[in-house]
Amino acid sequence: MSNAPVIANGQTVSGSAADASAPVRIAVKDLNFYYGSFHGLKNVNLNFHDRQVTALIGPSGCGKSTLLRTFNRIYSLYPEQRAEGQILLDGVNILDSKVDLNDLRSRVGMVFQKPTPFPMSIYDNVAFGLRLYEKLPKSELDDRVESALRKGALWDEVKDKLKQSGMGLSGGQQQRLCIARTVAQRPEVILFDEPTSALDPISTGRIEELIEQLRSEFTIAIVTHNMQQAARISQFTAFMYLGELIEFGPTNRIFMNPEKRQTQDYITGRFG
Amino acid sequence: MTALTDQIALTASQPATRRGPSKGGDAVFRAAAYGSALLVLFVLAGILGSIIYGGWPAFREFGFGFLTSSAWNIGTEQYGALVAVTGTLASALLALLIGVPISLGIAVYLTQLCPGWARKPVGMTIELLASVPSIIYGMWGLFIFAPLFARFVQVPVSNLVEGMPVVGTLLYARVPSGVGVLTAGIILAIMIVPFVASIARDMLDQIPTVLRESAYGIGCTTWEVVRHVLVPQASVSIIGAIMLGLGRALGETMAVTFVIGNANRLSASVFDPGSTIASRIANEFNEADGMQLNALMALGCILFVITFIVLIIARLLTRRVKAA
Amino acid sequence: MDAANPMTAAPPLAQRSRVRPSRRTADRVLRTACLLATLLGAVVLGSILLMLIVEGLRGLSPALFTHPTPGPGSEGGGIANAILGSLVLTTIGIVVATPIGVMAGTFLAEYGRTSKLADVIRFLNDILLSAPSILIGLFVYTLMVRPMGTYSGWAGGVALAIIATPVIVRTTEDMLRLVPGTLREAGAALGAPASIVIRSVTWRAASAGIVTGVILALARIAGETAPLLFTALNNNSWFNANLMGGIANLPVMIYQFALSPYPNWQQLAWAGALLITVTILALSVIARVVIKPQRAR
Repeated sequence: MSNAPVIANGQTVSGSAADASAPVRIAVKDLNFYYGSFHGLKNVNLNFHDRQVTALIGPSGCGKSTLLRTFNRIYSLYPEQRAEGQILLDGVNILDSKVDLNDLRSRVGMVFQKPTPFPMSIYDNVAFGLRLYEKLPKSELDDRVESALRKGALWDEVKDKLKQSGMGLSGGQQQRLCIARTVAQRPEVILFDEPTSALDPISTGRIEELIEQLRSEFTIAIVTHNMQQAARISQFTAFMYLGELIEFGPTNRIFMNPEKRQTQDYITGRFG
Repeated sequence: MTALTDQIALTASQPATRRGPSKGGDAVFRAAAYGSALLVLFVLAGILGSIIYGGWPAFREFGFGFLTSSAWNIGTEQYGALVAVTGTLASALLALLIGVPISLGIAVYLTQLCPGWARKPVGMTIELLASVPSIIYGMWGLFIFAPLFARFVQVPVSNLVEGMPVVGTLLYARVPSGVGVLTAGIILAIMIVPFVASIARDMLDQIPTVLRESAYGIGCTTWEVVRHVLVPQASVSIIGAIMLGLGRALGETMAVTFVIGNANRLSASVFDPGSTIASRIANEFNEADGMQLNALMALGCILFVITFIVLIIARLLTRRVKAA
Repeated sequence: MDAANPMTAAPPLAQRSRVRPSRRTADRVLRTACLLATLLGAVVLGSILLMLIVEGLRGLSPALFTHPTPGPGSEGGGIANAILGSLVLTTIGIVVATPIGVMAGTFLAEYGRTSKLADVIRFLNDILLSAPSILIGLFVYTLMVRPMGTYSGWAGGVALAIIATPVIVRTTEDMLRLVPGTLREAGAALGAPASIVIRSVTWRAASAGIVTGVILALARIAGETAPLLFTALNNNSWFNANLMGGIANLPVMIYQFALSPYPNWQQLAWAGALLITVTILALSVIARVVIKPQRAR
């Protein structure tokens, strides 16, 4: 699957090839977003393909996190923020006011910039989302927690201390715990909001490997300010600037052969 | 919402055990939180309502004269608030006069002068003073402080000023027993010191270090830094803290009841016994009925109005600066 | 502090210091005055404790905890009924105040961030926090004692609850506001409804602070006297399970006995005063120790 590293514009592109024939899971249509009176996203249109990693890149304040936060409508926690347009998740508009937000969020998981372990044991952290939506017997719950921790590449490190507080883990472990917690719910889509920006290079490497593995099961969207990271782990890349989607396409093409001048300038480090 | 569930179920195989958390619980929880918050509103309204209801007959009977009359005669059923209101204001103002400089001194000491290792224990000592119950201050005032005060202050001062104009009346103790309006003021001062000091300390702590350092940097002495930099910076909040202390002093009951002497007499001397609104209510309420009860409730109304005006000003001045 | 002010610490380098003598005097006066003010505070606390220990220890005896308060003129006696009564009253107070206070604080911190009503309630709660406690006594008297026709333990407990609630509301709100918003977002992102995020994540993260608030409220009401005068009053008999009558309690017992003409009553008042002050100071110290990790976070 993996391509040979290609050097283009000073970037290394080693991610696997984009599969544009994969079905569309999320379709964003004419999306506008407002923080109060500030127009944060302007007429954004793009598609996220099934079991592909899509990276959102752009300078800070370009709206990439804002866009990510519309997919699980986490912005709804703040009354002054609102979105207009359509976001179709498997054909259903999730911006519809009738959508059950809790149900939506159990299907679209999210991992944040800073690790957010809850003040409870490692086990309870992972079981938190499971207990909300499924009534499982103890043994099955144990199995699900273990399998989630394995998928989070954390099982071997914590299997002997599941009852200890999740706050006691290192930063990288905490982030993998949060990934395991998200994975445990078996969502369809996982959103990563700069998941490695608070971590050291070794932890970052592990998280990147993990994301690569998770792709076989989940549709993934990741916001990153690190272009090498986008190039390494994504199949599709969207470049955003000042609230607008400038360019979207397979990662290889975006990095090797960008169509737009702004994209070219950004990935060659001329601004941003 | 059902449409979403149906649609998504087509593409992803969901376990049959899947179910959402109950919506009812969320609404009940929110309603409980909302109701509890509203209760605070109702209690405050209830306090005001109950004392207006109880005091109304007295206000109707005596009218505006209730405020200006110094009578408090159970036999003839003649009641006036003047002595108690005067005592309340006098003891509280004396408390501020004595307590504020001490509080500010402590706040400055804790933030500017105290060596690092002593900061915690000294701060803790001052804070513990705030948690000593009012009745203990009353006992300390009556049994420890008052005798000493009578012997070392009231008697010598009375002898000194006897016959002098103005101070001769202001500072003359007819019966040097140690209790009186000034004693109440001193005890109240001690009681408000920890409150005012700890708020003032927090305010001084919030002033950016850069400001302090730049003042020291141009060769200011500690006094000059405090006087010209720190106090002006924190002045509004410090005034708020003082008002908060005033609010406490006005409504303080037990300590005052022990040491003010509980006399219904208007005297020009701060050494003479008097009474405050709160001490009079504490003393007489249980035995009162009829118009006396209404008069005491009316006193309560006056106390409510005075303290609430003071507290509202205090809270507006010390309004919490919340980080967004 | 000397390091911060080299002008007064080091001898003047030049022959004539640039700090005028008047400036230096003002500085010395300030430093001395501040030190004296602080010493005064410490001396007062010390003298109160000394008084309680000297007078109170003399009255400490097993009988204190086994016998009820004596009638006028009778010998001996203890304060067992008053201790028990105080425990019951403060328990009622804190049991009623804690759920209401925590829920109201939760409303202000979690639901009411942008609402005008929450601003009003927050403001009034701060006022209630410093309101004269005797007015709360008058309120509960009108609300409960008069309609029921008798002083009662219930009325005393309610009065104490009204005093404790604003303390808990304020600390709960302040502590919940310290919980980072990302934790709430992470909870919501797992599909948890607000109430579950609050109960199993936010409350937990703020638990040390909330417990501190409850302990501080307990310390506050344990010594309250004024509101009990017109609600629970006092009673010389043994505690009875019926809370529909006057009930013995330490603060009112101390008030009545300290000012009584009987030496054994006065002695009991001192013992009660020692007991209650030590308890309250201990609670205050515990509260400050509990809150420490919360502040450090």
